[in-house]
Amino acid sequence: MDPSEVEFLAEKEMVTIISNFSLDKMYLIGGDLGPFNPGLPVNVPLWLALNLKQRQKCRIVPPEWMDVEKLEEIREQERKEETFTPIPNPHYMELTKLLLNHASDNIPKADEIRTLVKDIWDTRVAKLRLSADSFISQLEAHAKLDNLTLMEINTTRTFLLDSLNSMYKLRASLQPQPAAKGHHY
Amino acid sequence: MEKQSYMPVPPGVGMEENFLSLDDILLSHEKLPCTTETAFPRLGFLEKSSDARDIPEGVKMEMPLWLVKGLYEHKRRTLSVQLPKVYRQGWRTVFGADPTVVDLHKMGPYYYGLGSQLLHFDSPENTEIAQTVLQTFIGRFRRTMDSSQNAYNEDTSLLVERLDGLERALFQAGQSGLNDFQRWEKGHSSHLTASSLVLNYRKRKITEVQE
Amino acid sequence: MFCEKGVELIKELHLLGDGQLSAFNEDGIRQVLDEMKALYEQNQSDVNEAKSEGKSELIPTIKFRHTCLLRNQRCVAAYLYDRLLRIRALRWEYGSVLPASIRFHMCAEELEWFNQYKKSLAMYMRSLGGEEGLDITQDMKPPKSLYIEVRCLKDHGEFEIDDGTIILLKKNSQHFLPRWKCEQLIRQGVLEHVIS
Repeated sequence: MDPSEVEFLAEKEMVTIISNFSLDKMYLIGGDLGPFNPGLPVNVPLWLALNLKQRQKCRIVPPEWMDVEKLEEIREQERKEETFTPIPNPHYMELTKLLLNHASDNIPKADEIRTLVKDIWDTRVAKLRLSADSFISQLEAHAKLDNLTLMEINTTRTFLLDSLNSMYKLRASLQPQPAAKGHHY
Repeated sequence: MEKQSYMPVPPGVGMEENFLSLDDILLSHEKLPCTTETAFPRLGFLEKSSDARDIPEGVKMEMPLWLVKGLYEHKRRTLSVQLPKVYRQGWRTVFGADPTVVDLHKMGPYYYGLGSQLLHFDSPENTEIAQTVLQTFIGRFRRTMDSSQNAYNEDTSLLVERLDGLERALFQAGQSGLNDFQRWEKGHSSHLTASSLVLNYRKRKITEVQE
Repeated sequence: MFCEKGVELIKELHLLGDGQLSAFNEDGIRQVLDEMKALYEQNQSDVNEAKSEGKSELIPTIKFRHTCLLRNQRCVAAYLYDRLLRIRALRWEYGSVLPASIRFHMCAEELEWFNQYKKSLAMYMRSLGGEEGLDITQDMKPPKSLYIEVRCLKDHGEFEIDDGTIILLKKNSQHFLPRWKCEQLIRQGVLEHVIS
């Protein structure tokens, strides 16, 4: 997958906005939207929130976890634990990028949040690399990777699968072979 | 990098070859030192050192892997295969000591591929060869991975220079995953761009005109 | 050694990264086929001799030549097949009309194959999404907006958009156009996507 496709999936995540217009409830195949009333919070998918924001029709309420204190806690946890810790949102990276790029005026301490999320990402990706190396060096046939997000998996998918596949095939050569295949004429 | 619509047939890796893979065809073009154990009448012209009509029994010849695989029989010996130097005891010890110092491109560039293919021929050292090939891959994996993940925007040619073909493919897979992500992070991912295929054709046309 | 020409064909393709297409090597293919013909005829005559005169010592030689025949077959098949993969990719990169400089590199059968592929793809796309069909070569990346800003990199002449308006695509001119109308032209390097 291209990361832009992962981002596209992330745009279905719900966020809270406070609109400055009124509109009746809309019934769409992806779910109902609204009703919108000026000054009242309403949950909408991220793609709509960003569109309204760009047209200055709303203010976006940052998700609960997008908060310096909470993120600092997650970062410490992530650094302390050997395994991947559960993350408050499966699309934390995409949401951070989209919200900070398009609605940074609605998010307190935007710069600090950007750095913290990047730190968390880097820590997790470093762990992912460490696990990849141990899969290979311990000749693992299967492994369990919990709590990874789609974007994290996507960044390393081809590399990890190709590496494991190569290791598997080189390891298979160690087993005695059935007498020469593919030699009949 | 832009995603490509052209996806070549991947190599088989290990003991299997992929019939239509360009990589595997080139791998099977690698030469192996052999000794004939039967005569091949009327093919003497293939052997440069003599102008005899036949290839006699007991002649040392370099033969490509594909030919050796075709002629080799387990029951009736027509050929015996000698191990290329890098797979012999001496080099196996070197690989065992520290696989990361070896320039596998120079020694290969099909070190893993050819090593796995050699197992088709009943050498008493097969187990050791398979073991060394696997351990070498494992021992070098960390470096291959780390360099593919850290080398964004750096000149990667030096790093890649000493990698075997298989490692090179992994390195590129790692790089493209990282590059795609970083392009996205910088907001370049939704930027529509010209196809790299189109651009390369254009470049080529210009150089052809200049020549 | 036999089969050197076959490997040359493969090396020629292998050197061209990025799925580019080199001129169809008709001469190379012919040389491989000639070698195969010679190998086959020599084997045919040796097989007859081995049978009629009981010359079993010829068997290793026959097997040798046979292995070479199979090798040549593999090289030619892989050469042709890999070219088809590249040609198929062209449909996605360039659209259904290829520039003359690329068509020039294809042999008659490859051009025919490209046309057939084009037709099956078109037929498939017409069958999708109700009456009007669905162009699956569009929106290869999730679109962010319906309209995008583009700049012309070369003179491309007149261009009709959905509502029937005709605009002139003149070098360095800038336009705000429906994304799906421009995508192909951007891939072809006629237009450039401008991000403000």
